[in-house]
Amino acid sequence: MPGSASLSAQLIRCHASTVLLRVSGESMQAAGIDHGDLLIVDRGLEPRPGQIVVACLDGCFTLKRLVAHQGRLRLEAAHPAYPPLELDCFDGARIWAVALHVVRTLKAP
Amino acid sequence: MSCEPWSGRRQAIVLIDGNNFYASCEAVLDPAVLGRPLVVLSNNDGCIVSRSAEARALGIRMGQPYFQVRRELERQGVVVRSSNYALYADMSQRLMATLEPWVEALEIYSIDEAFGQLSRPADQRSLHDWGRRLRHHVLCQLGLPVAIGIGPSKVLAKLANRLAKTTARATGVFDLGSMDDPDPHLAAVAIEDVWGIGRQLSRWCRLRGVADAKALRDMPSGELRRRCGVVGLRLQQELRGMACLPLETLPAAKRETCVSRSFSQPITSQSELREAVATYLSRAAEKLRRQQQRAGAITVFVRSNPFNGTSFYSNSATVSLPLASNDTAVLLQAALPLLAVLFSPHKPLHKAGVLLQQLQGEETLQHNLLLPLPLKQQHRRTALMATIDQLNRHYGSGTVQWAAAGMQTPWRMRRSRLSGAATTRLDAIPVVRA
Repeated sequence: MPGSASLSAQLIRCHASTVLLRVSGESMQAAGIDHGDLLIVDRGLEPRPGQIVVACLDGCFTLKRLVAHQGRLRLEAAHPAYPPLELDCFDGARIWAVALHVVRTLKAP
Repeated sequence: MSCEPWSGRRQAIVLIDGNNFYASCEAVLDPAVLGRPLVVLSNNDGCIVSRSAEARALGIRMGQPYFQVRRELERQGVVVRSSNYALYADMSQRLMATLEPWVEALEIYSIDEAFGQLSRPADQRSLHDWGRRLRHHVLCQLGLPVAIGIGPSKVLAKLANRLAKTTARATGVFDLGSMDDPDPHLAAVAIEDVWGIGRQLSRWCRLRGVADAKALRDMPSGELRRRCGVVGLRLQQELRGMACLPLETLPAAKRETCVSRSFSQPITSQSELREAVATYLSRAAEKLRRQQQRAGAITVFVRSNPFNGTSFYSNSATVSLPLASNDTAVLLQAALPLLAVLFSPHKPLHKAGVLLQQLQGEETLQHNLLLPLPLKQQHRRTALMATIDQLNRHYGSGTVQWAAAGMQTPWRMRRSRLSGAATTRLDAIPVVRA
């Protein structure tokens, strides 16, 4: 159907490297990402400071903002109760994907 | 035979395949197992069919029966997974889509390997750097490690792929085509490991003192031709760097479709056998519709366990359809009566399967005067099948099924260690902690 808007064409840059993840936790609330949201992430992009990224830490996927701080990279939450995590302090830690979109299903009040 | 000679050739053939593909797929979306030793089991959790690099390093062997090594695996902290074909098929599609733009033509050879064709730069420079970049790209995009073999023909590309994995300095990429002297490398590959050489042929070669790929390349062509005809000759030409096997970029239309499984426990009643065969037939019919084909005949086969010492029983029966069909209901109606012939109350059955034969394209039916239903009703049946297939694709196989396939199915394949549908079902996607 020409002219009909496709959501996946809008949200997915490259099908092969795109993965969907389910968000669990509140640490990114102030960045607009809530518990239960669907996250569209891309593994094929070079992560840059300032972006929200998925990191592999201690065998778990962790969602935080990548920040360059005093010449070192760290992961910052968007919530006052969560202190920043220095990437150097984790054995084998690595940035796994860049988060691109959030999909939230609205609930009736 | 129209084969191009090696010297001055600009065309290169590459073979790209996933390292320990099933084991690698299991780790891609599960950070908890990344870097840990992991094995994947065959159907019914029978034996080990794929091992991560870490599991190999522990000395775990391919093909070991699970029940024999279960304790040992637990003791060593090895992660054990049942085969998750939905996940592997999805990762395979992603892999092939990623490779496509890197070559001029791509032949998908199996779930985890593909041949590609590309032009060598004019200065005959090595494609090693190109291979390293592609390997890095696939690893970044998908998290899958691949090996890349490059050569002037398919057989040599396959051989180079092997060298890419076994040569210490190769780091996953090996270009045979740009070498001044490929002979030592060819001599390092045993005759049994040459693509297209079966067990019988390799024994024949060894008897003649032909023990490696180089010796096979240099043996008298006439002798090889007398033993295995033009196939053997072509293989030798390919080893000499002349491309004789073209890239098959369009899959050949399938002539047969088969669905068969071993049962997790022996089947001793006809009603259970009926359910199993109905399930396989539904699956096969779904395959046919996806391939846009119809079947003209159905064969159902059954057999007992050949390993447990009791007398072995094996039987099959075939029915021809008056009109080729891919309608599950029509196929069930034709095939299920065969079970009365095949079932024997004193022979516990270990495996059954259905084979759909005489496949033909969907369009050939339209001009047939023998249509069993009025055209309008026929269209409604087609729409119904399409809806069922869509539901099963989206919500998981078996969401909608024929009652003949049964509701409680103790015979169903054992997959006690199955990972989730991480990429194919929304309710099974992995969690990220925020």
